[in-house]
Order: sequence, then C-alpha cells, then structure tokens
Amino acid sequence: MVTRTAVVAAALLSLAACQTTSTTTTAPAAPAAPAAAAAAPPPAWQQGRTADQASSKLAPHAGRMTATPASEIPIANFKLPPGFKAEIWATGMPGARAMARGDGGKIYIGTRGIGRVYEVTDTGAQRTSRVVVDKLVQPAGVAFKDGSLYVIAIDKALRFDGIEKNPAVAPVDMTAAFRLPKEQHHNWKYIAFGPDGKLYVPFGAPCNICEPPSKEYAQLRRYNADGSGMEVIATGIRNTQGFAWHPVTKELWFTDHGRDWMSDDGPEDELNRIAATGANFGFPYCHANGVADKDIKKANPCEGVTLPVTTMGPHAAVMGVHFYTGTMFPAEYRNVMFVARKGSWNRTKKFGYDVVTVRPAADGRSAKIEPFMTGFLNPQTDAFTGRPTYMLQLPDGSLLVSDEQLGAIYRITYGR
Amino acid sequence: MGVRRPAAAGLVTRLTAASLLLMMTPGQVPAQPPPAILASCAACHGPGGNSQIAQTPSLAGQPKLFVENQLVLIREGLREVAQMKDLMAGMSDETIIALARHFAAQKPAPKALPVNQEKARLGAATAGKMLCGTCHLPDYAGQNQVPRLAGQDEAYLLQSMKQFRDNPGPGRDTIMAASLYGLSDADLTNLAHYLATFRP
Repeated sequence: MVTRTAVVAAALLSLAACQTTSTTTTAPAAPAAPAAAAAAPPPAWQQGRTADQASSKLAPHAGRMTATPASEIPIANFKLPPGFKAEIWATGMPGARAMARGDGGKIYIGTRGIGRVYEVTDTGAQRTSRVVVDKLVQPAGVAFKDGSLYVIAIDKALRFDGIEKNPAVAPVDMTAAFRLPKEQHHNWKYIAFGPDGKLYVPFGAPCNICEPPSKEYAQLRRYNADGSGMEVIATGIRNTQGFAWHPVTKELWFTDHGRDWMSDDGPEDELNRIAATGANFGFPYCHANGVADKDIKKANPCEGVTLPVTTMGPHAAVMGVHFYTGTMFPAEYRNVMFVARKGSWNRTKKFGYDVVTVRPAADGRSAKIEPFMTGFLNPQTDAFTGRPTYMLQLPDGSLLVSDEQLGAIYRITYGR
Repeated sequence: MGVRRPAAAGLVTRLTAASLLLMMTPGQVPAQPPPAILASCAACHGPGGNSQIAQTPSLAGQPKLFVENQLVLIREGLREVAQMKDLMAGMSDETIIALARHFAAQKPAPKALPVNQEKARLGAATAGKMLCGTCHLPDYAGQNQVPRLAGQDEAYLLQSMKQFRDNPGPGRDTIMAASLYGLSDADLTNLAHYLATFRP
C-alpha cells in the first residue's frame, strides 16, 4: 500500500528533477538547415503520391512494443487445412520477427523498433526468453552458424561466439568489414547463410520510389562470414525481407515488396528466383510482372529485367520464405514453399495477413498460391489482430510462425 | 544526418530488468496506474497530463499506443529522456499500459495562447504541403502510434521536430524523421506555432 506521504514525496522529488532540468537543459544546438533544402526528397512513405491521393489517410500500421499476454492472443481465429493445429509456443517478445535456430536448439529472434534480440530456450513443457542484446538500431537480421549468432542491425554487424553455452559472451563487432551504408529506410535486414556458406544480406532502396542515391542500395549481397569477400549477386531489388534456397535445386528464392501509391491493386509484390548471379530485378523502372513505373521512366523499362516467377498480391508485404523439408506434414508438403504475407497498409481494403503455400508451375512463370494459415485479419471489419512474418522448421517437422504485431511465436503441427 | 549511435553499453550482453520480466507470464494490467507513479508524471507533465512547463509535452488525450511505445523506448534507453530514467527503470509493461490508458482518457486542456496569424498561416501551409494530417489526422488528434499535435506545448514541438530532422536517435520513427527532410528552422517554428495553437 502506498502511503500519502510517499506519494507527496515522490511528486516533490520529480518536480525538483524536472525543474532542475528544465532550467539547465538547453535544446541541442540545431545544425544549419540542409543547404540543398529545395532538392531534398519527400519522405519515403509519400514519394510517388499523386495529388488525388493527398487526402488519403493510409499510413503504415503501428507496431506494438509492450508484451501481449497469451490470454489476449486470438488463437481460436486461426484457420489451417484439415489436420493442422496452431498453438501458442512463446509470447512476451514485442516485435518478434525473423528466427534463427542455434545448434543446441535455442531460438534467436530479431526485432526492429524495440532494438532487441531475444533468445528462447525450450525446456520441453514451456519456453523462457531473455534479451541477448538491446539498444540496437533495428536488429532484424539474425543467423546462426558453427556455434555463433550473427546479428545485423541497420548500422552494426555483431557476432556472438558460443552463445548457447556462454550466454554472457561479449560480441565481436564486425561492423567495419560489412561496410553498411548510412540510409536507414528499407535497410533493416533479413539475413541467412546459403548452402555456399556465405552470409546473404539485402540492402533495400531507401525510398518508396527513387533512383537510389548510390550503388550501395536496391541489391542483394553475399559475404564471407567475417564480412570479407563481398559480392553483389543481384540488383534492382526494392526491399527483400525474406529468402531461402530450394532444398533440391539450391536456387535462391526471394520475396520483394512492390512500391506504394501507384494504385490499390498494384504493382504487386514479387516472388523471384535467382538462376544465376548478376540478374537485375527491375527497380526502380520495372515492377511486378512487367509494370513500368509511373514516376521513374526510361525507354524499354523492363528490358533485361528478370521478372518474378509469380506476383504475390498488391501491397501484401511478402516476408519470410521457407521450403518445408520435414516429415510431420503430409507428403504433398515436401519441398513446398511457405510465404508469410505481413499484410498491406497502402491499400483501401487490407490484403495479405496470412501464410500461403506456393507451388510454382513447371514452366517457372506462374504458381499456385493457396492460403495455409489465415485468421490474422477479419475480412468483415477489415481489422487485423496479428501480422505473420517468418517461419522456422523445428527438428520434429513442426513449423514455427512469428507474429510481429503480438510478439508471439505459434507452432503448427499436423496430427496423424 | 549525423545520426548518433547507441553507446557501447548497448552492446553488452546483459540480463536487464526487462529481460527478466520476459521470463514471467505477462500479468494483468491494473485498472489504475500506481498513484505514486501518476504523481511523478503530474509533477512535470501537469495535472491530468496537461503540461504547465515549457518544453514538457502534454500527455492528455495522446493515443494509448503512442504513449505505450514511447514509454518502452524511454525505459529501454533507446530514447534518451534523462528526467525519466529513474522513474522508468524496470517499470513493467503492465504499468506502462495502465499509464497509457490513463493518459489517453484524459481531456486535453491546452493553454490559451496568443495566435500570431502570420506564423499560423505559414505553419498551416507547411502542414498541408508535408501532409502531416495523413498520419496525425486532419484535426491533429493523432492515432495509434502517431501522437496528438493539436495544442501541444510549442517549445516542445519545435525541439522535438528539430531532433527528428537533425539527430533522430535509435528507435525513433524513420518515417517521421524523413517527413521533415529539407524543412528550415523557420518552417519548423511556424509549424510548431500552428500546431500548438490549433483548436479543432
């Protein structure tokens, strides 16, 4: 019970504190306004917006930074194909996105705004989590290799050696080797090690639509694990937030977000395949399945551009890609691609908010896309409760799905 | 843009109070925030969250999610607010949610301010050109993660916009930072005056 004296004391204390600071704190000296004010680009989220869209209230959706208790997660809303079940596997990790599994079974999870990387330990009956590192600038990229956790934030690359056995290990700072460019927008990362042992790192276009300010953006690179030996392996990529290698062909498949403010229905997001390094995927001139940009123009905008295997829907925010290699799910799911669609903001009626399966046709130019996990969005009210972002397969063949909005991880199982 | 990076301390692996809390099941959000904490808030942010001190923001009528997220950023040290450091250290998410709910429910009572018509007119033009009302809504009441601007403390608005433009720290919204690209100090001064004196 709080006594009245304590309340008053606390109030006086903080009043003293804020009086002190309000008289001694001065606002940081403002640097001179940018010299090239007239040439400054509009903010990324409204670049390419037309006059008739000026009154639009479409804006990026809010993330949530407080923990959501399991009791507030509408697990009963989820719909899956017959025989599949979803359970809440871990909660209380605001902003949880991409997941990487350690050799010993711990799961590492990146975030954006809240600046944390989580570690989840599965004790069998339950999961516990802790914060491995915090105060980073959007540490979305996590990967695990040979006993080490790799974390790439917008401005930092860190390696935690032997972290599963030594939870307090100090990180090795590899930032200098990776030469991360300075622009932040679309430069939060998904990262993964390829079958070649290289670390694949994307560098998004720092805008909605623009000629990138330098050759450092709108591309996918790979590095040796220590940041040396950088190669640009594909260009013309606006913002990829997920990729994976086909278990048989070893080809790299990646998702890419289409630009905003062109229309409700496009250009659609993409699912691409890299058959050889050096391919150009079209940004900023050519989008989706050969749609010329309306703002950044050139003759024959799609010439020499590798078009997607399939488009993935308008403003869908295609995220993680996972090829299922387990045996728990029925045989027809073997090597099938799962794609998470976090869901639209720049569209009058919401689209996505689901996990789909993608089965490319033999010609490699189209695909069958079917819903796998839905219920994050209520189509009647057009309101969403969660936003699926990434998948991770466990050794038993069950599939983890992260929900960035609710800071939760679901586990999908199939009951024979 | 001279973005400052987090201090080296941020790299140190550690079990913070926040991380320990994660190991527990999130608990019930109390109906009301603890009175001692509310009193601490009121000391600077004013009665009912209506600030009486220049450069200190009003909290009354701010969107719940905005308050939640800012309190988390301040607790985590991503947003540096020296005056709040001790108060926020180890504060649970449940208390933060209760505080956010409390301030979102308070009625904004902005101080009567003399309106400089010329500054307000120029500020309104800048707000229109920069499409502030898309996210902050046309009446500048804010929504979700986006703060209320109408009637906010003028000096705070100016300082806050300058920080976003010149030195957005980690955890600050990059979209908001980019929304102020290229605006001059005079633009921001007029904008702050327009928003501080805006009455729906």
